[in-house]
Amino acid sequence: MSTLTEAPPPLTPAAPEKKPPRTRGRWTPYWLLLPGILWLLVFFAAPMVYQASTSVQTGSLEEGYKVTWHFVTYWEAVSEYWPQFLRSVAYAASATVLCLLLGYPLAYLIAFRAGRWRNLIMTLVIAPFFTSFLIRTLAWKTILADGGPVVGVLNTLHVLDVTGWLGWTSGDRVLATPLAVVCGLTYNFLPFMILPLYTSLERIDGRLHEAAGDLYAKPSTVFRKVTFPLSMPGVVSGTLLTFIPATGDYVNASLLGSADTGMIGNVIQSQFLRVLDYPTAAALSFVLMAAILVMVTFYIRKSGTEDLV
Amino acid sequence: MATTKTQTDATEHSGDVRLSGISKTYGTFTAVHPLDLTVPQGSFFALLGASGCGKTTTLRMIAGLEEPSSGTVHLGDQDVTALPPYKRPVNTVFQSYALFPHLDIFENVAFGLRRRGIKSVKKQVGEMLDLVQLGEQARKKPHQLSGGQQQRVAVARALINHPKVLLLDEPLGALDLKLRRQMQLELKRIQTEVGITFVHVTHDQEEAMTMADQVAVMNGGRVEQLGAPADLYENPRTTFVANFLGTSNLIEAEVDTHGADEVVVKAAGDKLVLPVARCAAPARAGGKVLVGVRPEKISITHADEAGSIPEGRNRITGKISNTSFIGVSTQYMVDCAACPEFEVYAQNIDRDARLAPGADVVLHWNPAHTFGLDADQSLLAGTTGDAGVAEGETV
Repeated sequence: MSTLTEAPPPLTPAAPEKKPPRTRGRWTPYWLLLPGILWLLVFFAAPMVYQASTSVQTGSLEEGYKVTWHFVTYWEAVSEYWPQFLRSVAYAASATVLCLLLGYPLAYLIAFRAGRWRNLIMTLVIAPFFTSFLIRTLAWKTILADGGPVVGVLNTLHVLDVTGWLGWTSGDRVLATPLAVVCGLTYNFLPFMILPLYTSLERIDGRLHEAAGDLYAKPSTVFRKVTFPLSMPGVVSGTLLTFIPATGDYVNASLLGSADTGMIGNVIQSQFLRVLDYPTAAALSFVLMAAILVMVTFYIRKSGTEDLV
Repeated sequence: MATTKTQTDATEHSGDVRLSGISKTYGTFTAVHPLDLTVPQGSFFALLGASGCGKTTTLRMIAGLEEPSSGTVHLGDQDVTALPPYKRPVNTVFQSYALFPHLDIFENVAFGLRRRGIKSVKKQVGEMLDLVQLGEQARKKPHQLSGGQQQRVAVARALINHPKVLLLDEPLGALDLKLRRQMQLELKRIQTEVGITFVHVTHDQEEAMTMADQVAVMNGGRVEQLGAPADLYENPRTTFVANFLGTSNLIEAEVDTHGADEVVVKAAGDKLVLPVARCAAPARAGGKVLVGVRPEKISITHADEAGSIPEGRNRITGKISNTSFIGVSTQYMVDCAACPEFEVYAQNIDRDARLAPGADVVLHWNPAHTFGLDADQSLLAGTTGDAGVAEGETV
């Protein structure tokens, strides 16, 4: 036990000077944000400002355009093209409702009933994305062609009489009618409805269904009182993801529709690329954007899911 | 509650839960072997067992959430086997509570009443929330409550429907120890107050023993033993029950003589006596038997004082290998010839300083506290290492 007499071990050399607190870490989040912010500035903010200025310019292609704060363009654009605005909203709304009616059962099936088939069905839902939007829409042209099988079946079943009376189709034709455009929109945007619906349905704890059943709710009531309310975030984001792009879409109307089914997207496209009336095209774009913002805000308020989205 | 009480008396036994030959198989796996069980009306019944023993499956078959592969479920005189859950007069408190996240506490509790078309729910819900002391929280959403409060909402949501049977699936599993103790007393109080039959699934033997009137210990899809907590503890019939409920010292022994009242066995030279009534094994002279005694029944005396031990007690000699001081008691691990890890719990009344590791000691106990078990089973069945006491329960 000689250690007792030994001198205590020397103190550890004076603690190294305290390093100044690292400041580099503090900036890391901003560095990481930088690429995204730059991207938004260059490809979103700058074009917005540019288009905003275009919309209040006057002039011609030969003489060049100048900012003259000519807000009248807005008024002229709306008063001339309001039918296309209304049509866009009506077609997009119809397609959204159809997407919801078709997509909800499918999303429900995938989320709760598909079991090991889940991944396969999900792949099938996304599969259309592997081919071009244009090609797929052109395919619908063939499907709905005059004298084609779809028209034949609808004719035999006298469905075309009803849709004709409603003004959705004309005579023996489906192609080049509102119905064709809405079908195209529905088809093209269906996955955007199914994916968010599936995500929110899949998140629902299965025990909530059991609990509801245990508390005297029959299956239809379980759906009405538990499943559907809990899937509202999916319903809201699905309808927005469908409605917003469908409103501005021009491909379906130009490939499957006619002059009478022109949507606002077609007008903007032709003003920009054919008529070359840039101020009107830009003004229409802004009106469309504002209209969608107002409608979406109203919708989210109404559905009471601000905290869920 | 007076009316409920008189009703209960008037309709005695008409509310028993009767399971007859009920079983559940998934493919080749048998979760529950054919099982007969009667839960008397108004009792607090616990299904106790380790994870995967089939207790939750049994409960879910009563609730109707699981379809039995065979057998029937009766509530009183009514055969409910084919009824879907929403038609059974039974409610469940789920393990994770399964409160509806989009509804506030009031609507969660009112859910069952509304589904049965009851219009004026305000008074009933208010009373029920007061019973579980959550009157103030009625307009909060479930995620704004603590675990203990959510648990009480789950109980209130089920109880408000006055079910014939309340099923509780590990209802306290997610709570911390202190809260769990508090909720055990709370649940027991509520059960006494409302007089409804409670069937409680748990893996916590202490919980089952403190709360239940009757406990069914389950293991591997079978009921090992059924009885009142004290009866199960004092008279285990299998090594699983002996080890799962508390701790037991089990010694392999050979039957020496078999009398009318007593069985005398030999274990590594020591002679031990046990009452015939407490021997759950077919004891023949020369046959094997497992002799058990609970650690707290044993007295420990230093070898020098062996002479002071009264006659007629079972004795075993050994050497202390380990001690641990718990406060109210001291646990000794004693190395005996018959059993290398003999556990003894001694109350700290007069501590003998000589009882330290290495000391030679004599262990002695009243023969009436000895029990005998069939030697054809694993000594370790039901110990934590063997069965595993898991928090979650998926089967």
